[in-house]
Formats: sequence, C-alpha cells, structure tokens
Amino acid sequence: MRLPSVDPEPGWRLERSGFDEERLRVNAAVFSLADGHIGTSGALLPAYPGSERRVLASGVYIGTGPETHLLSGPVAFHLPYDVGSRPRLRRVLDLRAGVLYEEVTTTKGVLESVRFASMARPGVIAFRARCPDASAAGPPLLPPPDDVAFDEGSVGDVAWIRVSDGSGGITAAAVDVDTRAGSVERIAAYCADPSRVPEPAEAATRLREATALGFDVLLDEQRQAWATRWDDADVVITGDDELQQATRLALFHLMASVPGEGTAAVGARGLSGPSYRGHVFWDADTFTLPFLAATHPASARAMLEYRIERLPAAIENAQEVRRAGARFPWESARSGRDVTPISARDRTGAVVPIRTGQLEEHIVAQVAWAACCYVDWTGDVDFAEGPGRRLLVETARYWASRARVEADGAHIYGVIGPDEYHEPVDDNAFTNVMARWNLRRAADAVDASQCDERAADEAAHWRTIADALVDGYDPKTGIYEQFAGFAALEPLVISEIASRRPIAADMLLGTERVRGAQVLKQADVLMLHHLVPEAVEPESLEPNLRYYEPRTAHGSSLSPAVHASLLARAGDFVPALDALRIASRIDLDDLTDTTAGGLHLATMGGLWQAFAFGFVGLRPKDDRLVIDPHLPPDWTELEIRVRFRGSRLRVRVRDGCVLLDADAPTPVTVGATPCTVGPEPLELRRTERRWEVAT
Amino acid sequence: MKRVIVAVDNSAAAGPVLATAAAMATVLGATVDAVHFSDDAGATLLASAQRYGIPLRQSTEDPIHAIVELAIADDVVAVAIGARHRLSARHPGHVARAIADAVDKPVLVVPPEASSPERLRTAVVAMEGTPRKARSLKFVIQLADGADLDIVVVHVDDEDSMPRFSDQVAHETEAYATEFLARHLTGAPSVRLELRIGVPADEIMAIVSETGADLLVIGWPQNADARRGAVAHELLDRSHVPVLLVALSEPTANGK
Repeated sequence: MRLPSVDPEPGWRLERSGFDEERLRVNAAVFSLADGHIGTSGALLPAYPGSERRVLASGVYIGTGPETHLLSGPVAFHLPYDVGSRPRLRRVLDLRAGVLYEEVTTTKGVLESVRFASMARPGVIAFRARCPDASAAGPPLLPPPDDVAFDEGSVGDVAWIRVSDGSGGITAAAVDVDTRAGSVERIAAYCADPSRVPEPAEAATRLREATALGFDVLLDEQRQAWATRWDDADVVITGDDELQQATRLALFHLMASVPGEGTAAVGARGLSGPSYRGHVFWDADTFTLPFLAATHPASARAMLEYRIERLPAAIENAQEVRRAGARFPWESARSGRDVTPISARDRTGAVVPIRTGQLEEHIVAQVAWAACCYVDWTGDVDFAEGPGRRLLVETARYWASRARVEADGAHIYGVIGPDEYHEPVDDNAFTNVMARWNLRRAADAVDASQCDERAADEAAHWRTIADALVDGYDPKTGIYEQFAGFAALEPLVISEIASRRPIAADMLLGTERVRGAQVLKQADVLMLHHLVPEAVEPESLEPNLRYYEPRTAHGSSLSPAVHASLLARAGDFVPALDALRIASRIDLDDLTDTTAGGLHLATMGGLWQAFAFGFVGLRPKDDRLVIDPHLPPDWTELEIRVRFRGSRLRVRVRDGCVLLDADAPTPVTVGATPCTVGPEPLELRRTERRWEVAT
Repeated sequence: MKRVIVAVDNSAAAGPVLATAAAMATVLGATVDAVHFSDDAGATLLASAQRYGIPLRQSTEDPIHAIVELAIADDVVAVAIGARHRLSARHPGHVARAIADAVDKPVLVVPPEASSPERLRTAVVAMEGTPRKARSLKFVIQLADGADLDIVVVHVDDEDSMPRFSDQVAHETEAYATEFLARHLTGAPSVRLELRIGVPADEIMAIVSETGADLLVIGWPQNADARRGAVAHELLDRSHVPVLLVALSEPTANGK
C-alpha cells in the first residue's frame, strides 16, 4: 500500500525530528488535527508512557458550573505498537494540506503513517500506515482516556463507541479498510451534539459515505478544501522564514478550530487540548473571530450564533444583578451561564479569590464588538438587521443600566479591565470607552431601522449616557488614565525593574504590590487603540504607547501581539518585531509550559491581527477597506489575503508600494486615497505626501 | 535480599538513624546492615541497635572509604548516616556529603534532632522539573509503590525560572500542574503537587513543616560547586527531618 508523499515546501512545513520525551506532549498539541467540529491530538500512533490520545468535539461539554469541561471522545488514531527505546522519530506537518506524516521506531520496527482530519467532510478522520510486521491492527476505536460513561458495539467490521454525559455525546464509527499484511488504513466518522446523544447508526452512515470514496479520494478532497481556505487567508512574509512558518501554523490552527456552520463554542485552547476546560472567554470574540470574519465569514457567523443562542441566559444574568439588557459571562460553556471559578491556588501556593466572573464586564461590549466586526467585514445585512441588532440593543441596555449618571458625568464603578492586576477599579478607560462605543453603535443601528418612537427614545437615551461617560482622557498629556486613580499609584516602570519581559509581575512582586503600582498585566488603554481606533482621540496612540508600553509586564499571553500591532502602526519596528516574535513562539517554544494542554488560540488570532491591523493597517470603514501599511525594513514584501464584502482580495505591501488584486470591484482607501480594485489589479505608490495609483 | 547500609556512631543521632533506616528499609523491602566505625560501640549505640533489632558490626576502616565500598554492591539500595549536630565545629553532615558525592545510591542523612519514626508516612520531594532532576522523584515513586507513603512534590520557581505569563490563574495553574505531573510522574501513584515562588530552600522547609513530613527528598548534584548545589546544601544544613539525597549525575556500572 502506497503512503502518500508529504513533502511540502519549506514555508508550509513544520518538521520535528528526534525523540524528546519532554516535548512529546507539547508536540501532540502542536501537531493536533481538527476540522472545526472534531479535534484529535497529535500523539504518536504507537503507545508511549505519558501519551494522551484525545478527541474533543466543539461545544460538547460534561460537568456543571466551573467544573464544566469538554467531553473526550473515542480514539481512532492509534496502533498497538510500543515505541522502542531511543526511538527514531520524524514528523512532518503539511500546513497547506492539513496532513501529518509520522515515522517512528517501535519495538517491532519502523512504523510510518499519514493522517488527516477532513476539512471537506468534518467529522471524518483517516490514516494510512505502513507497519513493521503483520500484527493485527487492534480495535479501530479505543475509549476516551477520561473516566466517562460509554458503550460500544460493532456491526460487521464497523466498530462504534458512544460517549455521553446524559445530555450531549460523541459517537464514532470506524473501520480498518483493506488491511494487508504490514499495512493499515483506517477511516473513522464522528457525530457529536451538545444536546443529544448521536446514535451509532448516524456515525455509521457518515462512515459509509467516507469509505465509499476511499482514503485517496478523501485525501484529495482534504487538499482541495485546505487550498481553498488558504487562498482566502494566507499571510506571506518575504524576509523572515521562521516567522512565516510560525504564522502559517497559527492560521492553520485558527482555521481548524472553528466550524463553518451551526454554532461554534470556541474555547481558549480550541480543539487542541483540554486546558481551560473549553470555556469561552472574550478571547473568542476579540481575537479569534476577526480573523474568520475577514477570511471565512461562515465560521465567524457560527461563533456569533453561539452568543445569540445564549442571549436569553445573558438576559437572565443581567436580571440577577438587577440590570437591564444582556450580561454575557466572563467564562461560558454549555448554557451561557457563568462558569468562572471563584477561587484557585496560584503558583505561589496561595488560595486567591477569582473575581473576574463577578467584575470583568467589558466582555459585554466585546460581544457587541464582535458582531459589528463581522458586519463591517461582510456587509451581512440580514444579520445586522436581525440578530446583530438584537445583540447590540441588549448589550447597550446593559450599559445604560450599569452606568451611574452623576453631576460630573456617567461612571462605571467596580470593574476589572483587561489589566487584571488591578481589581476592582472605577471608570476603567477600556470598559468605559467600549461601553460608550457599544451604546453609540446600538443607537446607530436602532435609528437606521426607522423604528418606533419608543425605540428612538431609548436610542437617544443611550447617546446621552454615551456622551456623559467619563474616559480618563487628559487633553494636556494626550493620555487616557487607565482607571480613576491610576496616576496616583506607585510609579513602577516594569521594563526597568524586571530582568525580562514578558514576566508574571504579580508573582515577581506579589499581588498587593502590583495592585498598588502602575504595572499592567496586558494592554488595557492600548486595547482601545487596537480595537476601536475611531473611538479614541486622534493622535493619541503615540503618547499612550510611550506611557503604557514600558509599564506593561505582558503577563498575559494575549498582550505581545497587540503591542506588536500598535508599535507597527507607530513605525517602531524593532520592538514591534520583538513582540511579534514572542507571540509567534508561545506554543512552538512552549513559553508557558502549558502548551501540552492546548494551543493558545487567541494569541494566534492576535498574531494575525498584528499583521492585518498593524503592519498592513487593514480596517473596514464606511463600507470601504482602509489600507495603511507599515512595512519593516527587513521584510521585502508582506502579503495578506482577505475577504471583504463578498470580494476576495490580495494585498501585497512592498517598500513604497501596494499591490492589490480583487475578484470583484472593491472599494478601498490606501492611506487617504480612495480607489476601486478588481477585477483589474491596482498598484499604488507612495509619493511624499500620499498614495497614488501608478499608471 | 536488598540491604540498606547504615553508618552509625555512638551519638545522639544513633537512635534516629537506626529508626529511620529501619523505616526506610521497610518501605524498600530491605534489611538493615549497620556498621559502627570505632573500637568501642558505646552504650547508646548498643541499646539503640538492640531496640530496633538491628545487628551491628564494627569496622576500623576510614568511614567514608568503607561506606563507599559497601555501597557498590548490587543488593544495596540506600545508605543511611547520621549528621553531626549543627552546633558541631565541623560542617554538619560533612561525612554524608562526601558519601553522597561518591556513590550513586540514595543517601539518607538523619539529623540528631530527628524523631525516631516507627514508619515513614509523608515524604516531601523537592523538584525543579528538569529531566535530570526528575530522577529524584522517580526513586521516591519506586519507594512509594506498594507502600503507604504520602508524597508531596514541591516545585519552587525563583526569579530566574518564574513564569512569563499568568493568564487566568485557576486554569493556568491547573494546566501547569497537570503538565508537570504528566511529564514527571507517568505511571506513578497519586501525589500532591505544591507550587511555590520564592527562595527555594525557604519554601521547601515551609512545606516540610506544614505537612509534618518525616522525610525530605532532594536531588544531590554530586561534586557541585557552591553555586550549583546551593539549595541542596542549604536544605541539608537546615532540615530537622531526615533528608534523602538522590544523586543527579548519570549512573555508572559500579554505582559510583
């Protein structure tokens, strides 16, 4: 049986050779394969101590409250060999096709295999292996590694296992096809549902459709499906091969982690591992969704559907704290109720209260922001006028009831901003400005709908509150005070104190000390410049970057990419590239010592945002796509592909030059120069003052 | 039959050394072979040996040389020795350090103020989480296998090894602890992991005190300079409970 060749070009190739016990579990996450619905760990096919073969299904949880976590499914990627002592190991992930090649020495000889999770047929996974001997391949399916209830059976040579917690479940059917001596070809089909337990017959039907096509056809479909995704999403950096590889790995996992239909619950680690229990944070709305809104809108829409389905729960959440509108929880899972833990032991051994569930409310505005981001990139009028408006309205109602109007303005007291070192705080700039933005955007949506008088009155009320919300901006300095009283804190500049950054400053200095000092965990005020640059004072990026960047410890893995983006926009390329590299290596170099539990999906999304929003300067604005590039001198060219309002665009930035291709007429603005690109390409050159279309 | 070699003298440490060695031997499924390096056993030593049912033999050889030679034998699984009182003019445990530097078998150092346990209940294992130093943990896992021994693993980060990121504390700590245990305790009985940040020796001693441990297990960097072995040496100096030193260097055929 022939093994398909997996030999991608360098820019599409992630290769790891050598058996490093400490890295095996990390690589199982890095090499995980997913199709948006089902994720399978990249553990080796043969067994080895400490290996954890895991299958996760999007949105299928087990447990209750903070203990809610993703259900593990049956395992098909396995063979009954044992890794030899001092084995040879070589693995190649073809990022372009989503195919993993593996060659490993077992106690019986060399085992080679090729496997994939079908992007064309989500739920179908397959591998073909050349085995060292004629040993039996073992059962096609193994039960999950966790202690969960399952039942199993077989129909002919098709084996099935069904795993359930009583409400949702994962059912898999698998068969070994054409098993000649010394080779195995296995195809498995998964059906998963968060609210019912799929019957074995469903999985068997899906399996039958796949086996009828056969491995080679499925593999061809896989290559084509991924090629299509990459055509719409690639980022090409000419001049930095290492960054190129890391970037494509990030985009690969972003695309693999979110389904293209239905409802997408995108946990902090996606489908690559069980850490963070599959809980959905603002990571999804803020960092993952924008990439998909700009490259695969159907997936972004599925992520918004997750929030829409949980809008009733969010309204209940608000009512419980005597607020109007919708209050989305800090951590969300199955039901949309808050599943944030209330205490934990930190790395110092101390038991600390966790108040993010109670106080970190900016997520309410983030959900609204995500909905608008999707609309801005896609122009989806049905969504904007339907569920999108509903999200905006209910979140605006929340802020209107949350803000306290006093003589000197409207205030939001007692919150936690993105900088979680300080809690609780009053008038957190990020929360207030996002709330203001939310209120105004909702008012715009209501007014545009030419609604009834009552709705119009409500919209007017929102605008009044929005106008009154204090934001801490000091026109003399151009700086937003991160929260009321921040300027009076101990002026501790972490960039001068710590031997390195990123650093968990709360562990370095203690939580009480950082709480009383001007040390930030992550971009907070600067997040405003990153997410809603139109909502902050013009020209305020530079003074706030100058002030807050040295005070940021980057104790959050979300932070470096945001700073990279903003530093790029400011033309400060050396620190921009430093921050970008850190963001790009978080999982490849296991910088958190936790990558084995799953990849940092939001960091990956942030990496894309650094390229898109920072270096290329892409922003939808007033039905046009704005391009404002900042190319580092070390890069010969930066290319990014996006989809905007139904058009497919390719933007290439070179020194003093922007090359645009689109498959349909697309209004863009390069710098301050409006033009239309597509279907004919367009080249613009930078003169002293402006971008001009080259003739 | 496996053996634990015990070097004893006629001092206040005699009782605790013999008792701890006996308790350790029970856990390891070994017998105790006690050697007294002097012409005259002394009443304290003789009474202690009788109390714990451990036969004594005498040797007039240089203690360090003799113990190292005895430890080479394949059936010897550990060496136990008393530390001099910390008020002694000589560095407490200098013989123990010399032996630990020379043999590849675990060396149990018993301070004279240690209690005389009937059995070992709780062991604190100090781990820095590198593959090399994980060896000390694996020995203890073997120690605990089949025995009723609670193991508390302590991992201390200092400023140099402090984490870069502290995302969502509950999940991050859980993820880190899960990965730490998976990397270093595959196939092990359940252990409790304590994570700390601070001065390693201070944090480890605090855990020993909090848990009421009757054994502290540390990796011993053989023949290390003062800097490399600083934490291990400090723990050996400060511990009021027996300390099991597990060599960090690669093993050789003859145990040296």
